[in-house]
Amino acid sequence: MQGIRYYDLRQVRGYGTRIDIDNGAVEEAGTSFFDDTVIRALGPKGWGVVTMDSFVPDAPTSIENAIAEAAPLTAVTHEDILLAGVPGPVRAVPALREDPAVIHLDEKIDLLHGIERAARVPEVGNTRATYLERKETVRFMDSSGIDISYDVTRCGFSVMAVAVRQGRMQMGRESRHTISGFNLRHQEGMGEKAGRTAVALLDAVPARGKRMNVVLDQELGGVFAHEAVGHASEGDLIKEGNSVLRGKIGETIGNRDLTIIDDPTLPEFGFEPLDAEGMAVHRTEVIQGGKVHAYLHNRETAPVVGNGEPGNARAMAGSIPQVRMSNTFIENGDIAFEELLEVCGTGILLKGSRGGQVDPGRGVFLFNAEYGYLIENGECTTMVRDVSLSGEILSTLHDIELIGNDRLMYEGFCGKGGQSVPVSDGAPHLLLRHTVVGGSGTD
Amino acid sequence: MELIEAILEEGIRRCDEVEVFGTNGTSLSLTLKGGILHSAELSRSWGVGIRTIEKGKIGFSSTSDPGRWRECLKAACESGTAATHQEWKGLPGPVEYPLRAPTHDPSLFPNLDPAQLLADALLEGAGEHPVTITDGSVDLSRGTIILANSRGVRYTAPRTLASVSLEAIHGTSTGYEFDASVFMELDARAVGEQAAFLASHCDGGYDISTGDYDLVLSPIAVAQLLGHAVVPALSGRNVHAGRSRLSGELGKQCLDEGLSLYDDPFARGTGATDWDGEGVLARRIPFVNDGVLERFAYDLKTASRYGTESTASAVRSGYGGAPAIGVHNLVVDGERTGVFDDKALFVHDIVGAHTANPLTGDFSVELSNAYWIEGGIPGTPVRKAMYAGNIFEAFRSIGGLGKESRVVGSAILPPVRLNKQRIIGK
Repeated sequence: MQGIRYYDLRQVRGYGTRIDIDNGAVEEAGTSFFDDTVIRALGPKGWGVVTMDSFVPDAPTSIENAIAEAAPLTAVTHEDILLAGVPGPVRAVPALREDPAVIHLDEKIDLLHGIERAARVPEVGNTRATYLERKETVRFMDSSGIDISYDVTRCGFSVMAVAVRQGRMQMGRESRHTISGFNLRHQEGMGEKAGRTAVALLDAVPARGKRMNVVLDQELGGVFAHEAVGHASEGDLIKEGNSVLRGKIGETIGNRDLTIIDDPTLPEFGFEPLDAEGMAVHRTEVIQGGKVHAYLHNRETAPVVGNGEPGNARAMAGSIPQVRMSNTFIENGDIAFEELLEVCGTGILLKGSRGGQVDPGRGVFLFNAEYGYLIENGECTTMVRDVSLSGEILSTLHDIELIGNDRLMYEGFCGKGGQSVPVSDGAPHLLLRHTVVGGSGTD
Repeated sequence: MELIEAILEEGIRRCDEVEVFGTNGTSLSLTLKGGILHSAELSRSWGVGIRTIEKGKIGFSSTSDPGRWRECLKAACESGTAATHQEWKGLPGPVEYPLRAPTHDPSLFPNLDPAQLLADALLEGAGEHPVTITDGSVDLSRGTIILANSRGVRYTAPRTLASVSLEAIHGTSTGYEFDASVFMELDARAVGEQAAFLASHCDGGYDISTGDYDLVLSPIAVAQLLGHAVVPALSGRNVHAGRSRLSGELGKQCLDEGLSLYDDPFARGTGATDWDGEGVLARRIPFVNDGVLERFAYDLKTASRYGTESTASAVRSGYGGAPAIGVHNLVVDGERTGVFDDKALFVHDIVGAHTANPLTGDFSVELSNAYWIEGGIPGTPVRKAMYAGNIFEAFRSIGGLGKESRVVGSAILPPVRLNKQRIIGK
């Protein structure tokens, strides 16, 4: 271990179950197994990393051998790295209301069938539902002698309906994922909602791209927080100079009532009992009263960048930890939804998320709604489709005029550097003034 | 191979047919942070995906642990029990085939020295412009894929891949460029130079007013839009399930007559292969010829179900994924013209392509590294604008295909000129 100042090992073992029902046929319903280990060794300057399948940490000299393989890799690395903090403790994983592992595959298929069937409302020509279940047993060890293990089970479903009329086609989609246990029971309503959305969208008009007043629903408000602020507050991007929030601590960048939080301790889909570097997880107020308050950090970025604590490192099984969000949300304000619409007057209400993306260095983000409604005289009128919103991080947060009082959280997966991790995002309804909305409709 | 034979032997006792897809390999990755080599990662992987077929019911499971193959086989059989019965014409038998697909470079090894040379070249190229390097990577990998089944197929293919990427910033203007090849032929210096050029050139962009403009989309932008809307519409599964806008369009003019779209598994792209993910011999698939839709993509399962032949379009996302319909090297081709001769807004990349409507092709995205170009000379950059439209409609009437194609993911394509496109400015 010559020249190695520190090492850690993260092993993720477990199984994943996937069910895919397409137009009533079970296309796939099976379980696969994984066992991935990443060993990081910190040399004089930089990391040497070895990644392996089916590694046995307790076998004699296995760790020593892996580090002997990782150490020479640090001969080419040149970065001065300081690590802040000490590993642990691990939080208790919330108990499962019903453990999906003990439910027979046939029952899961029957329940998913029920959700998929419910999506077949008149004019729906195709329905598809998928179920995902994944149990991970994580073991974290490091050179200080820490050896921590925990289990996390995540599961959930999505249902999609395609409606067709006279050559026109539209899609509705609903999904729910959780860390709280099996969630396929009594969810037929989600299937029906997907079907009805698809049918309703057949009559929707394409949105006209221009500046207008915008009301975001709770799901899109969450994606807004995630894309517009969350990524740009990640300490690795700050450290590399790839975020417009660099050097902005204490600066007002948005409405003075705006507070944005990232909190991996919440029992939501982005929950982590321990971060991927073994650090305790904690709540971070990224934006407090409209000002940049703190960044998200791992052990490397915290001492270099400051303004925040490590505990935000996350990793896919078999991958190197990165600074990531977990459960990200805008705190409630005190305005009721109806009042928000009334103040909006004329504009557009955007609902549901088809995803988003940000270029944090440039400070530009975009996200897309599943559908929306024009707002006229404070009332929702014509349904619109294929509408997106783009903005600049340092100006769009000032456009938030009113913050609702009805926050909800939604689950999803976030991609960064080739890794996808489970997250949740949420917000109350928000009113934004004179914001650029994109769509292909013309006057 | 011994282990795979054991799986096949045990599997055939339980089911009508068994198939094993195995991968093993080693890769070396270097990560640059802020222009400094931050970490070096050596990754070794091994895994098998087992598919079982019993009376038209198909099961699948995978594992990365050689010691758990019996458990994995059992899980595959149980998975098949739960699946819906379907018409099934059987797995393919072994066939002699000529080695046509360029899948590996005998001189490419995941070693530190060549990786470091690529990293140095990236940085040297980026040094041509006044930028800060934020992120970069070099990856070299070498491995083997194996496809074996109970009908006697025992195919193996060596695989190599080299890839580099670099991201740079100048003020609040970012630039990202990448390249990947089966061969050790990457011009890493050019990749670094281009990332730095984009960041540097696009700094201090001007606003643009909402209106219709002539665009030239880079191969990267075209690949993103095609990948999210057109490629799924070519899948036979989506066509028969009523999820494809191209359903019922066979034989009809669906794209510009100057545009052809085909899958060429023997082209020098990163998806090159002599056989698909189910052991069917790969072939060129002419999806769209001179704008006329001629063919959809099928794997064995979808072909059996709908009474047609597989087009050898099954692809695997590693050992852990069941075969699914996809493309190997999607080539966009047609007569080439000087798309940069007349003035146009060049769009290097787009933000949010994955938010396009995969059914209808409607999209509304943000431009990234967009600047005016005329006579091939880069001009004034545009600071921020959105681009909205429909990908199928946009490609019904194109303004021309550029002269040089490049590899972007599993596509090989040129820049495309699209006239009178809707841009939403500030």
